[in-house]
Amino acid sequence: MARLANLETEYPVLDSTVRNFCASHGIFSAAFAEQNDSSERLKEGIAQVLSIIDDMHQPWLNGMELLEDAKRNKHVFPTGIQGIDLLLGDGIRVGQLTELVGPSSSGKTQVCLRTASNVARNHMVLYLDTGNSFSPQCIAYFLGKTISPSSAQAKNQFLQKVMSNISCHSVFDIFAMFDVLHQLESYLRCQDGRGCCQMRLLIVDSISSLISPVLGSSSTLGRALMTSAGYLLKKLAHQHNLAVLIINHTVGGEGGSSKPALGDSWKCIPHSRLFLSCDRGSNTYNVSILRHPSMASVKAARFVI
Amino acid sequence: MGSHAKAWLVEDESAREMLDRVLTERPFLLLPPLHRVPLRVGNVVELVGPSSSSKTHILIQAAITCILPKLWKGVSYGGLGHSAMFIDLDCRFDVLRFSELLNHRIMEAANGSSSKVGCHQKDSEAQFERMKPYNEELFALCMKRFLYIRCYDSSEFLATLKTLHYRLQKEREVHGVNVHLLLIDSIGAFHWVDRGSSSFPLECDNRKSWHLQNVSEAVVQEIRRLLLVHPMLVMATKAVVLGNKYSTNELTWNYRKWSAVDNPYSRNITSSDQQLPYREYMPAAWQSFVTHRILVRATDDDLVNGEHQNNSIYLLKWLLPPLNSLDKFTVRDTGVFILS
Repeated sequence: MARLANLETEYPVLDSTVRNFCASHGIFSAAFAEQNDSSERLKEGIAQVLSIIDDMHQPWLNGMELLEDAKRNKHVFPTGIQGIDLLLGDGIRVGQLTELVGPSSSGKTQVCLRTASNVARNHMVLYLDTGNSFSPQCIAYFLGKTISPSSAQAKNQFLQKVMSNISCHSVFDIFAMFDVLHQLESYLRCQDGRGCCQMRLLIVDSISSLISPVLGSSSTLGRALMTSAGYLLKKLAHQHNLAVLIINHTVGGEGGSSKPALGDSWKCIPHSRLFLSCDRGSNTYNVSILRHPSMASVKAARFVI
Repeated sequence: MGSHAKAWLVEDESAREMLDRVLTERPFLLLPPLHRVPLRVGNVVELVGPSSSSKTHILIQAAITCILPKLWKGVSYGGLGHSAMFIDLDCRFDVLRFSELLNHRIMEAANGSSSKVGCHQKDSEAQFERMKPYNEELFALCMKRFLYIRCYDSSEFLATLKTLHYRLQKEREVHGVNVHLLLIDSIGAFHWVDRGSSSFPLECDNRKSWHLQNVSEAVVQEIRRLLLVHPMLVMATKAVVLGNKYSTNELTWNYRKWSAVDNPYSRNITSSDQQLPYREYMPAAWQSFVTHRILVRATDDDLVNGEHQNNSIYLLKWLLPPLNSLDKFTVRDTGVFILS
């Protein structure tokens, strides 16, 4: 919070009288002040300080406004995989973080690529890749499966258009991810409302490989970074109407079962968590719900990619 | 001066009148599943539990009970008719789910009153259609009484609390409704971020550094000031990690085992050394501010309710004031349903 003296250039009403009054009450920065004095100038000054503080937090909304925003902006994007769509209730939701947890080669990246190919038909997608797992061939294959037979040239054009909607960035540590996300935030702030093709999906594959190196057992900075990353993703999802898909690994839990990595402090960050596993030797995958915002009636499903 | 002094001694109302007035203006709240202890304005209730243990759901229940009117167009809804404020520090609030639950409560109350008259099936359907515009009007009225804000870090949270007094005054002037309930989802949400940022000192000497303790003290101070001028019931959730004895693994958890283990604790309960089943991480300023504390957790049992519905069963235990009973409840569309 800024010092009152520094704010004087921006808000000339905060001159020395107001500052002296505030100083007499022990207020040196833009904090709450009790209105005891009837002087008009002081009242103006205090009102100005209050409006500065009011700008420092998100606006208050009532239930109807929230509901309208949810109905208008927070759509659902189908992933294109029937089993997962059934579990999630029609697909991944804009404004929410959906986490895919599973051991290695349990189909997590495949699900992300499938979702990306589905969403990229009409919207832009940002894919943050930590392990060089992004594969344009897979995307072309998924698109080719669903496209109706037409001339090779039309197919090519369609493929080009969809592929140009997906941008892939390689990030190899958490600070690079913060960089990219802050750039994305400023880009989206200028972009919001303008243009027909807007960014609607953000995929982080995988967030555990970014966070685990900084997360020691007793390090507070590691957990602080993890929580800030989670909140930045939530902010982007809600304010800029993105659906966020994150991938997490598993670690050994008690009794030999596997549990999601990143510990208990991470549990509070994603809105929905899905656990994926693969049947050995067959092409089918199992998915079950670990957490869902509404009590889901179906708890597990199988799917084929 | 003499007449002024005498004026001081004339009574305003008798004790009975005062009790009547206070009980009507500030009623006791019995919200299921927290029905064992009546709650009043000025109480600070903390719901403690691991992740996914329906804590937010209990808050939403309380909010819906608060915003519904007591009586509206002849139908009794059993609510308080006041506003509720929800400060979302977890940023996971689902407004569509909230509106579903509100709609279910409204329809249940409407159906409840019509079934008392003794209608047939067709009559009740026609009545439902007739009631639809009333229900929508009531829905809009209730939703406007629900105030929501999100905070992405501690400074936004503090800024919200500092300007809350003026916001509440404005609400009172414009809408004429009082705020009765202040809900904070996950008071410990920024715990790690605040702990991490204490290693970055600010330049000036006469400003307090951004410590976890300082932030917590500031929060408690602001809420205290607010409660003096706007008496409200404060309910906050807190995510904790339960100790190994209380893991949800089927092999180790046993309902009877908990109550057997519990007895040694209940015998040794003193106010200073009560063994808690979880590790407390909030600073002492917040801990001493809390007047009521409840522990909720999910069990592995499911209540089979029809072919497709499988509702989990939750356990609830009062830690402050310490009660020996354990409540079982399950969550349904119409609200919380107590099992035992």
